[in-house]
Amino acid sequence: MQRYPGHVPLNTFQRLFLFASSGIAAYISPRRADLVATFGEMTSQPFFARRLKKQMLSDPVGRELLREKPRITSKTLNLDYLRSLPSNTLGNEYVQWLDKENVSPDTRLPVRFIDDPDEAYVIQRYRECHDFYHAIAGLPVVMEGEVAVKMFEFANLGIPMTGLAAISEPFKLPKSMQKRLFDIYLPWAVYNGFKAKCLLNVYWEKELERDANELRKELGISLPPDMRAMRATRAMRPKRVVRNVIRPDSDPIYEKSN
Amino acid sequence: MLRFRRLVHTAIKKDILVVGGGPAGLSLVTALKNSALTRHLDVAVVDGQPIVERLGNWAANNKTTEFENRVISVTPGSVSFLEKIGAWENVVHERTLAYDEMMIWDGESGARIEFDAFDSATGTVATMIENSNVQQALLNTGNTRDTVIQAQVEKIHTVNGLPTVKLNNGIEIEARLLVGADGQNSPVRQFAGITTEGWDYSRHGVVATMHLEFDDFKQTAYQRMLKTGPLAFLPLPNATATLVWSTYPERAQWLKQLEPQAFTAMVNAGVRLDMADLDYLHSLDPKNTDEIIYEVTWRLNTLDEDDTLPTRVESIVPKSVASFPLKLRQADEYISERVALVGDAAHATHPLTGQGLNMGQRDVAALVAALELAVSRGLDIGSLDALEPYPRRAYLQNQLLLGVNDSLYKLYSTDCEPIVRLRTLGVQVLNKLGFVKNKLVEMAD
Ligand SMILES: Cc1cc2nc3c(=O)[nH]c(=O)nc-3n(C[C@H](O)[C@H](O)[C@H](O)COP(=O)(O)OP(=O)(O)OC[C@H]3O[C@@H](n4cnc5c(N)ncnc54)[C@H](O)[C@@H]3O)c2cc1C
Repeated sequence: MQRYPGHVPLNTFQRLFLFASSGIAAYISPRRADLVATFGEMTSQPFFARRLKKQMLSDPVGRELLREKPRITSKTLNLDYLRSLPSNTLGNEYVQWLDKENVSPDTRLPVRFIDDPDEAYVIQRYRECHDFYHAIAGLPVVMEGEVAVKMFEFANLGIPMTGLAAISEPFKLPKSMQKRLFDIYLPWAVYNGFKAKCLLNVYWEKELERDANELRKELGISLPPDMRAMRATRAMRPKRVVRNVIRPDSDPIYEKSN
Repeated sequence: MLRFRRLVHTAIKKDILVVGGGPAGLSLVTALKNSALTRHLDVAVVDGQPIVERLGNWAANNKTTEFENRVISVTPGSVSFLEKIGAWENVVHERTLAYDEMMIWDGESGARIEFDAFDSATGTVATMIENSNVQQALLNTGNTRDTVIQAQVEKIHTVNGLPTVKLNNGIEIEARLLVGADGQNSPVRQFAGITTEGWDYSRHGVVATMHLEFDDFKQTAYQRMLKTGPLAFLPLPNATATLVWSTYPERAQWLKQLEPQAFTAMVNAGVRLDMADLDYLHSLDPKNTDEIIYEVTWRLNTLDEDDTLPTRVESIVPKSVASFPLKLRQADEYISERVALVGDAAHATHPLTGQGLNMGQRDVAALVAALELAVSRGLDIGSLDALEPYPRRAYLQNQLLLGVNDSLYKLYSTDCEPIVRLRTLGVQVLNKLGFVKNKLVEMAD
């Protein structure tokens, strides 16, 4: 029985099959966003989505979100208005970040395989907020930044998919980047992820006009060293960077042009 | 009364003096008076409460009043004992409900186990009955009522080798056998110097009488195992049910502060919502009725209707909300020279499986059997020789039940994921094994 628009109910066998096949496929081709998203859904059930839902139910803002189920798209967010906000605001930092990274909030895949409508929303919300995590951490969408954000998310939310990505991906990077990750960004991500308030319980849409640093302080996040600046000074450009690819998806574990 | 007053300075002599006119004490007296072997014994029961005045005409006065909150579940074993001693026929039957199914489910995983008694001899798992209904039935059986003395026990001491009880009306009574049926803080037990083992659960049981949205066609007792303790939802006649919700003391306090409508919402939440919702609701101001109702209504509306769960509560009887601390206690001995303990004086358990009263009935049956044997052999009824068969029959069985109750309680008072998964698996397997379940039901009886 379909329980929300777009829901695809599965039986146990289909579930197992999808779990195994999407897992293997996502590992082989992490650029296939649909596979990654599917594997993410398969691994977050039944325990992790449920745990996140519980975390949201335990918090007044989390409950408000579950009640209103707001979506983040370029229609629900007025990007031009965000561009007009003072540069220290969250909204302006976010849109600057979107512009700089050349991404849009409309690229999130809808959740399909999670049965409970609340749990489906929790995972949907997590996907749609991903760019806010990048913005609040000031980390770029390049593979290195992506790994750090994944680790940050994993420490903060415990979604298994993000943890898997964060530990499997660094080894595909050049040594010097690995070193930077292990010395600076992963420790930062683990420490801040654990320390910060549960980021799913942030109503980002209502914080857009707030001073970003003030919000970071409130959430318990400190900014890491500027990764872009570091990459530039070290002039470390990995050979495997994929250029000029339109980013098609939600949680790409691949390099993006900039 | 006058008769006693003349005897102020000389103690009245009784064969058996029972302290405590609760269900245990009254059934002991009734059983002794019912047995051909022990009928001749001079027996009295003292209680500080005006039980005769309050309960003597209870049947006539309580045709239509609300159900009281102290409702207990009596097993078929207890019912047949009460039948045997002639008390069951005096019960107001319209105010009892025999249920034939029991459903217990895991508050974390939702895994459930169902027991039914369709194949058993009586066709019932147990019968829900008000404490007062049991007491009044006993009082009105034989001449039990005439053995009751209303007075508070002030002091117990030994005079000429016999336990002697001093009452607050000045009367002293000495007895060849002193029975403590005087509840959890048993003065008799303290007099006998009998220590107890056990612990407090640091949980309180919140009780209430509830009106349901409609009369359920099934007669089922429900228990939801929450990490804070079990929530029991037990059926009564006429779309009514009784609640025993064991939870943290501060939460019990919080629940007691609620307005009736908010309490009603919280019970519906306790039966259906996620523990995270309950945690959140408990963080709200108990006087903020609107917010509590709003939050509960919203969450309930997100759920699919599940008619295997208890019918929703429409309202509660406002003055019926009360709470009591939960303990596990077992006296180290049930007897000592000229003293025997029965009922809550001897043991107290978590109300998880509703055994509080039934264990007391079994004690009484075992003690009466021992006394019958003693009389037929010409033994002194207060001697250890006479009393010894009683604990031999009752102690170990009670210990076992207390142990089972306690382990069940501990197993369910966690939301730790691996344990939830294990117990869920265990319950799913158990639920398929009919013969094991039947054995469990028999054991509880
Ligand atoms: C609020 C509440 C709800 C309960 N709910 C359930 C339930 O749902 N299911 C269940 O199985 N069990 C339940 N129980 C437990 C059950 O009521 C007891 O197990 C049962 O009543 C024990 O009977 P008893 O005769 O041993 O002791 P009690 O009923 O405690 O009787 C003791 C009697 O001794 C008298 N007494 C004590 N001290 C003195 C003194 N110094 N002088 C004179 N008289 C004295 C008292 O007045 C009292 O009448 C509940 C208990 C309470 C308090």
